[in-house]
Amino acid sequence: MANFMFVVPPFFGHLSPTLSVGASLLANGHKVVWVGITEVADKHIPDGGKFIVPFPELEEHQEEIEKILRRQDDGPSLSGPEVMKLALEETYVPLAKILMKGLSRVVDEFQPDVIINDCITFAGALCAYLKGIPCVTTTPVPPDVMGDTKNSAPKIYEWQQNLILGLQRSVGIYTDDIVIHSHLMNIVFTSREFAGFTDPDPHMKFVGPVKGRPNTIPFPWDRLEKAKGPKVFVSLGTLLVDIRKDFFQKLIEAFGNEPLTIVAATDPGIIENWPDNFIVQGFVPQSEIVPKMDAVICHGGFNTVNDTFMNGLPMLITPIAYDHFHTAALIENVGCGIKLRYKRLRITDLKAAMWEILTNDQYRNASIRIQQTFIDAGGNDTAVALLEDFAREVLEEKV
Amino acid sequence: MDQLTEEPKKLSNDEIFDVLNQFITEVIGEEFVDEMDITPDSSFTKDLEMDSIEIVAFSEKVKLHFGENINFTGWLSNMDLDEIISLKLSDIINYIRQCQ
Repeated sequence: MANFMFVVPPFFGHLSPTLSVGASLLANGHKVVWVGITEVADKHIPDGGKFIVPFPELEEHQEEIEKILRRQDDGPSLSGPEVMKLALEETYVPLAKILMKGLSRVVDEFQPDVIINDCITFAGALCAYLKGIPCVTTTPVPPDVMGDTKNSAPKIYEWQQNLILGLQRSVGIYTDDIVIHSHLMNIVFTSREFAGFTDPDPHMKFVGPVKGRPNTIPFPWDRLEKAKGPKVFVSLGTLLVDIRKDFFQKLIEAFGNEPLTIVAATDPGIIENWPDNFIVQGFVPQSEIVPKMDAVICHGGFNTVNDTFMNGLPMLITPIAYDHFHTAALIENVGCGIKLRYKRLRITDLKAAMWEILTNDQYRNASIRIQQTFIDAGGNDTAVALLEDFAREVLEEKV
Repeated sequence: MDQLTEEPKKLSNDEIFDVLNQFITEVIGEEFVDEMDITPDSSFTKDLEMDSIEIVAFSEKVKLHFGENINFTGWLSNMDLDEIISLKLSDIINYIRQCQ
């Protein structure tokens, strides 16, 4: 049996797949802890697991942490290059510096055999490097969001390199190698085919999405069963609060009188009068609803993207910010949906694209192909087997 | 318009701006441009909110109109993030004038 330590960021989408994998590792008898910068509600932590926030060392950084977290709300209103700066320069690098000291103490106390760092939580890999502990990286999104900057945008590449090498030196790592990610194993929670990798490095392990943890929120299932026409699920995820009203107003304009049913996951209070063909609820059992749908509209949050293609459905994607544009491009590349940029959303385009993905089978067929690549990638079981094999080798070497 | 009499083949800043304004309208869509106040001071990413696909489409139009030696995307790819963030229409007008 092995000791595993996940090092995670304060963003639930990145934490979520590690909770599923961690739950299985715990069930198999391993010890598992998570380390992060902000607390996570107990109900999310699998039985037997522990989420550790190194408060004593974080105390002096509280103000900065809060500032960084608040700054994330600006994302949707920023341009692409500004988001790149926000992500790397204003979020990932400072959070890594802030976490290092406390993480180092927790690592000494827990003595993990393997450190598993989330792809944007560099502190995990840096700490592993400094202490000589084998490290695996988890990547919940299709990798390479920034593209091949080395060749396409040399000055941006230089900026990335300098920031990361600067971070490494600030914690006492003087190699010119980039060591914020594992070079031994990187578990990616999508399929190679969807991510568009024809010839990935052997340490990149595409395992597909892992299932979310069960969700028992009540939902008006009888209303959904009686609903007429094709059923379309709409989600903007948990963030993006400011644009919700505007976004759903557009959907009402486009689909209020169309012969289809919209299931919207959003606070019903944002709109006074919802049309009769809209079923609206703030929190929904998404993984139970999506299998009953004919299509999905979303901005490109990977939780909904995974649910959609895991069920072989076509998607209308309306990218807003962050990696949404990258995800939208991947979706169009594999043909399982249509992209309409949120900032240039026309009602007529919205309607036309919706009926196109509902009536033209090519989108659904492409989605069914991606669904198969997700299933074949192995999901949670494969991720757990990879980690257990990795830990076994580590422990054998120790003996 | 003094430049015109001195160098009759070259377009003035205003003329280039009018052409670029037209291209932006074609790329973004008239209904969205109506809500914007496009001036030489408009920034590409912040005010016009152009994404990479729109910039490529815009760049193709610029190349077709002003000539093959205007490599707009090549010019952009040599910028750092701050230069891209602060890029204004007037910078592009100057770039085209230099290339002419």
